[in-house]
Amino acid sequence: MSGTAAADVFAAGGDVGRDLAAVDWTQTPLGPPGAWPQSLRTAVSILLASRFPMWMAWGPELTFFCNAAYRRDTLGRKYPWALGRSANEVWKEIWGDIGPRIENVLSTGEATWDEGLLLFLERSGYPEETYHTFSYSPLRDDDGELVGMLCVVSEETDRVIGERRMATLRDIGSDPSVIRTEQEMLAFTAQQLGKNLKDLPFTLTYLFAEDGRALLASSTGIAAGHPAAPIIGEAGGVWPIEGPVRHESALVELTGPAFEALPGGDWPEPPSQALLVPLLRQGGAPYGFLVAALNRYRPLDESYRGFVELTAGHVAAGIASARSYRAQQRRAEELAELDRAKTTFFSNISHEFRTPLTLIMGPLEELRGRVDPALREEVEVMRRNGLRLGKLVNALLDFSRLEAGRMQARYEPVDLAATTAELASVFRSAVERAGLTFEVDCPPLPEPVFVDRGMWEKVVLNLLSNALKFTFDGGIRVSVRADHGNAVVTVADTGVGVPQEEMPRLFERFHRIENARSRSNEGSGIGLAMVKELILLHGGTVGAESTHGEGTTFTIRLPFGAAHLPADAVAGSSGVPAFPSGADPFVQEALRWLPSGGEVPVEVPAPVAGDPARVLVADDNADMRDYLARLLRSAGHLVTAVGDGRQALDAARADAPDLVISDVMMPVMDGLELVAALRADSRTVGVPVLLLSARAGQEAAIEGLEAGADDYLFKPFSAAELLARVRANVELARLRNHHTRWRTALVEQLQEAFFVCDAEGSVIEINKAFTDILGYGQEGLPYRPVHPWWPDAASDADAHAEVSDAFDLLTTHQHGTYTIPVTHRDGHRLWVAAAFTQVRDPDSGQQVIVGTFRDVTDEHYAIQRESAVASLSLRLSQADDLPGALGGALAELRGLWHAGYVSAAVFDGSGAPAFHATDEELTWEALPQARRDSMAALRDGPPLTAVSEQLAGAGIALAHPDGTMVVWLELGDRRPFTEQDETLLALLAGHLGQGLRRVHQIDQQRETALALQRAILGPAQLPAGFAVRYEPATRPLKVGGDWYDTVTLPDGRIGIVVGDCVGHGLPAATVMGQLRSACRALLLQDTGPARTLTALDRFAALLPGATCATVFCGVLDPATGHLVYSSAGHPPPIAAHADGTIELLDRGRSRPLAIRPQMERVEAEYRMPPRATLLLYTDGLVERRRQPLTAGIEAATDAVRLGRSTPIDDLADEVMDRLAPAGGYDDDVALLIYRQPGPLELEFPAEASRLAPVRSALRGWLERCAIDPVTIQNVLVAAGEACANAIEHGHRDRGGQIRLRAIATAEDLRLTVVDNGQWRTPREADNPYRGRGLMLMRAFMHHVTVTTGIAGTTIDMQARIVP
Amino acid sequence: MTTALQLTNGQRPDGVPVLAAAGEIDMSNADRFASALEAAVSGSDAALLLVDLTAVEYLDSAGLATLFRHADRIEVVTGPLLAPLLNVSGLAELTTVRGL
Repeated sequence: MSGTAAADVFAAGGDVGRDLAAVDWTQTPLGPPGAWPQSLRTAVSILLASRFPMWMAWGPELTFFCNAAYRRDTLGRKYPWALGRSANEVWKEIWGDIGPRIENVLSTGEATWDEGLLLFLERSGYPEETYHTFSYSPLRDDDGELVGMLCVVSEETDRVIGERRMATLRDIGSDPSVIRTEQEMLAFTAQQLGKNLKDLPFTLTYLFAEDGRALLASSTGIAAGHPAAPIIGEAGGVWPIEGPVRHESALVELTGPAFEALPGGDWPEPPSQALLVPLLRQGGAPYGFLVAALNRYRPLDESYRGFVELTAGHVAAGIASARSYRAQQRRAEELAELDRAKTTFFSNISHEFRTPLTLIMGPLEELRGRVDPALREEVEVMRRNGLRLGKLVNALLDFSRLEAGRMQARYEPVDLAATTAELASVFRSAVERAGLTFEVDCPPLPEPVFVDRGMWEKVVLNLLSNALKFTFDGGIRVSVRADHGNAVVTVADTGVGVPQEEMPRLFERFHRIENARSRSNEGSGIGLAMVKELILLHGGTVGAESTHGEGTTFTIRLPFGAAHLPADAVAGSSGVPAFPSGADPFVQEALRWLPSGGEVPVEVPAPVAGDPARVLVADDNADMRDYLARLLRSAGHLVTAVGDGRQALDAARADAPDLVISDVMMPVMDGLELVAALRADSRTVGVPVLLLSARAGQEAAIEGLEAGADDYLFKPFSAAELLARVRANVELARLRNHHTRWRTALVEQLQEAFFVCDAEGSVIEINKAFTDILGYGQEGLPYRPVHPWWPDAASDADAHAEVSDAFDLLTTHQHGTYTIPVTHRDGHRLWVAAAFTQVRDPDSGQQVIVGTFRDVTDEHYAIQRESAVASLSLRLSQADDLPGALGGALAELRGLWHAGYVSAAVFDGSGAPAFHATDEELTWEALPQARRDSMAALRDGPPLTAVSEQLAGAGIALAHPDGTMVVWLELGDRRPFTEQDETLLALLAGHLGQGLRRVHQIDQQRETALALQRAILGPAQLPAGFAVRYEPATRPLKVGGDWYDTVTLPDGRIGIVVGDCVGHGLPAATVMGQLRSACRALLLQDTGPARTLTALDRFAALLPGATCATVFCGVLDPATGHLVYSSAGHPPPIAAHADGTIELLDRGRSRPLAIRPQMERVEAEYRMPPRATLLLYTDGLVERRRQPLTAGIEAATDAVRLGRSTPIDDLADEVMDRLAPAGGYDDDVALLIYRQPGPLELEFPAEASRLAPVRSALRGWLERCAIDPVTIQNVLVAAGEACANAIEHGHRDRGGQIRLRAIATAEDLRLTVVDNGQWRTPREADNPYRGRGLMLMRAFMHHVTVTTGIAGTTIDMQARIVP
Repeated sequence: MTTALQLTNGQRPDGVPVLAAAGEIDMSNADRFASALEAAVSGSDAALLLVDLTAVEYLDSAGLATLFRHADRIEVVTGPLLAPLLNVSGLAELTTVRGL
């Protein structure tokens, strides 16, 4: 056997292949792999190459092979032991299942197929429940004999078990809606769990009882009472119940006597472990726990544990749901019972009332006829209230009969239109007396309607009474119509309406809408409920539609005919009562809600002991009101009587009485609210209040006294008791109030606002001036901090903070003054100046703060205007240009008004305006159409007139250099834009317009100058080796008279000029242009620097503004670095040698231009050493305030020295950057840099014959650079190789050009060879020695990069220059 | 036009054949140099040919290639100018280079 042969067979097998190769095959019937038949080798290689799980058996002993996928999915710990063993040894435990199948394949040659077959594999140390889908197919040897089988298998254990568990979870979660009780739920769950005895061989569900014991509630797979399933679980028992109590799961080994003879579920062997899982209750102790016996053929992995926990979760949820259902049901039953009891009670009590009522009303009716006119009034009161009581009792009785289903109706055919109209007419006088219109629209119906007359009467009267009670303006309308087989009766009013949220409860009995404005607070809340019940009894419907504040419409629908009514209750027409019998109480009651119209007789007050008191009576019941008034007047008091608390409060504030007597229960404002309001107002704080109430009991009295009432009387009370209490309270109050009144009068007369605060800062007293200034009156007292006049913390944080600081001062200091912004009740902004001091209240002994303030708004705004104008002017003066000025101004406006944003649109007559805004995101197009329209409207309106929009902002139009500009302040929130604001905006807009015009003029001049400067500055094409810069001054952006120039002379020398004219802006730029041109012309005539300057002297003398310009003029020979120069008062150029030595070119110097033009100028010479850098500049680069010029020149010198190895273009930027002051240059700067020698630039055809001249030129340049001979030779070789390479490319692409560029800095050389061919990757086969080229380049240069692109190849090489 | 190159065949006093080059050798004239070297090597029975590059001012990789091709039959004499090149290229390792 050869190792190679074995390796070949198993080569594709990865790890498994390696392990197969390691098997000692000589010990198997198959012998060494080298001797294996081709068929076996093929089968093995197919097996190993497949990624699908496979195993195979071959030969007489069915020797086992498998691949990596099979190893991973199925083989488990049997790997690699199984390799090379006989299959029946490998799969001993399942041989009973698979042996016959293999035998069948080998005997018949037919393949088998099994899907999801359960096999107990022992691959993990225990028999494991596994499922497999597989096929066995025959394998034949080279002679076609059946010698083995191949198994393609997919293990499906996870799928099969996962689906089984999922099914169980689904089943226990199914249709919980039918389950009502806990018992049902447990039974259902047990039924479902019992279906899965594989995963849950048995289960026990224990629920905790109150004593902490656990009671077995259900079980599956095991009989209740089995030793392992005790009915009662206790601590220390079979199951450890302590774990679940602590919300913990527990794994229990099922060993011990209790677990002998356990049922095994679907398995042959009983389970060996069980999991205890708590049945968790949200926010409480667990309900109990679930014991789940575990499948001993599966590991307790995450998925298994998760399944058991989910099962327990389902059980717990079921218990929660069942218990909650039970609790709800119990509650519903209790409520129903309570309801029944209540109805019975009402029924009984009503009955009990009727008897005495009858005995009162009967004799009373008789008395009416006979009584003395003097007593008539009292008797009428008795009768009316008797009727009212009777009505209430009857209604309650009817209702309880309806509830109990005992209401016997007698339905007879009735002309419903006529009957309804008659009933309505009864109410006419009451409605009209209330000042309402009353429309009854009842045309005859096509057929009669079956109704119980008595009930119908109640329905109509209740609805009308209800309508009158809640309608104060407009009217009431009753109509009858036929509609689709129904009679439709509507009662509509224009009353207060019903709030939307109350609608659903409108017909609920005893439900009354709180705080609804009504004519009376009387009523039991059963009227509408009864209407509904009665209509239902008629087989009809009643509905209501209402809009709060607009009215309510009740609509009743009754079917025609009698088919919908019980036959035994239908009768023929009786044709009886023409006039409604039960209407009187309704009408009588309604009339009492209305103003009496002067019916109360004016009585002569009887003399009373002591001073008569002025008493204010408030009661919604007219009888009670009249009774009290009569009683008090009879005692000599002056009485004013009103119907509710609001009227009482108004009356008391207008003219404070000596005493208020008020009912507790009243519409609009009840008695307790009245007391609170009176006590909160300094004018009425001392008025004694006597409360009356029908609600007996200690609590009611305490509530009233706590509210601030002085006394409390329960109904019924005796006249003597009332009068005695009145007298006592009045006397007491008079004593108390004398000095208070004096003080109040004094405070009220103050011109300044006056206030008193308690120690916490709550305002507890104010005067009239306070209300006049701030709009907040005494009715709102006390005003607790944060006071309502504080500016809003969200929309006006600064003002809020100011007030907050002042408030701290107020509450912590003995005395002080402050001026703060405040908000008037109507929203407008005020400024007040306040002074305060702390004093001790002599009555209460408490520390209070007394203060006064006055309105200083006008003064404040005058100061604000001045400072706003000043800061706007400052902004405008700081601006560099028009957009800058506008931007600054808008920001100023925004800050001034705390606007959301401020925008400006400049309409120049063409299309959309130019738009600016403090919010940079904002665009004209993004503005709402309405805003664009309003801004356009402002443009067309008068200029400098501020226009504000309610709750939006304000705008103004003003002149802009480009047209009309409209500025808009978007204030957004509910801040009003006051007249003050408008004045200020107009003032600022005027200033802004002027400022913009001024900036615009400066702008225009500058733009012209800059354009000129750019146009006349230096040549577009510089000679090689030069870099130049020009930078105008930054702030304010100023062009000046600086310039640079280079002039290439006919002989190859280069004229160099840097100059600086006096002054800035357009005039300086003009002068500069002329000097520059003149200088250029002179240089071209080869006049030499000194003579050129002398000629310029004469020229400048004639040119206004040119005098005193400074100029440096030189002529450079780039081949030698020889420079002849002359300076007319210009700062000296700086030369940096390659070694860092610095020289200033400060010879050849004389006066600036046109100063003593007759004097000769001198010339100097300078020879630039190789690789030296020369910097020419104007004084803007080096001149700094409070710094000698030499310091600036030194800084420039450092910059050049440091940058002497930087390419000159980068150096130019570096110098400009390094020397720039923090805020940018404040004078313009011109800069010129030259490095000797200039770069070498050659372009030549890609031909080998050009190499020698190129080398010669490069050698010459390198010598000018003063490079040592060895380096020169190295560079020549590298460059030669680069060029040779380029030529080879060029030969392929005819007409190729090569460019060579060489640059020297102080310490570096840089060569670039560019061709337009393709880089040739060196290939030995083409030219074995050509590849040396690149090697030589790399050897002789420090850095080589080759970049190949579509356009050609660039070789970039750098070398350090050894000094 | 090709780069200037003078090639001279000669003999050292001890009879060793010599090929002396003067000027520059680059890709434009490398062929001529190659032919001359070829001829000198093959036209002699001597074991070695002495290639005298002392007067060569420039030699590029094309010229080097010719030297490499005959490395086992030649000895090279050079001056300081070409020495770095012959060293760096590795020729000095294959053949005797004198004057380094």
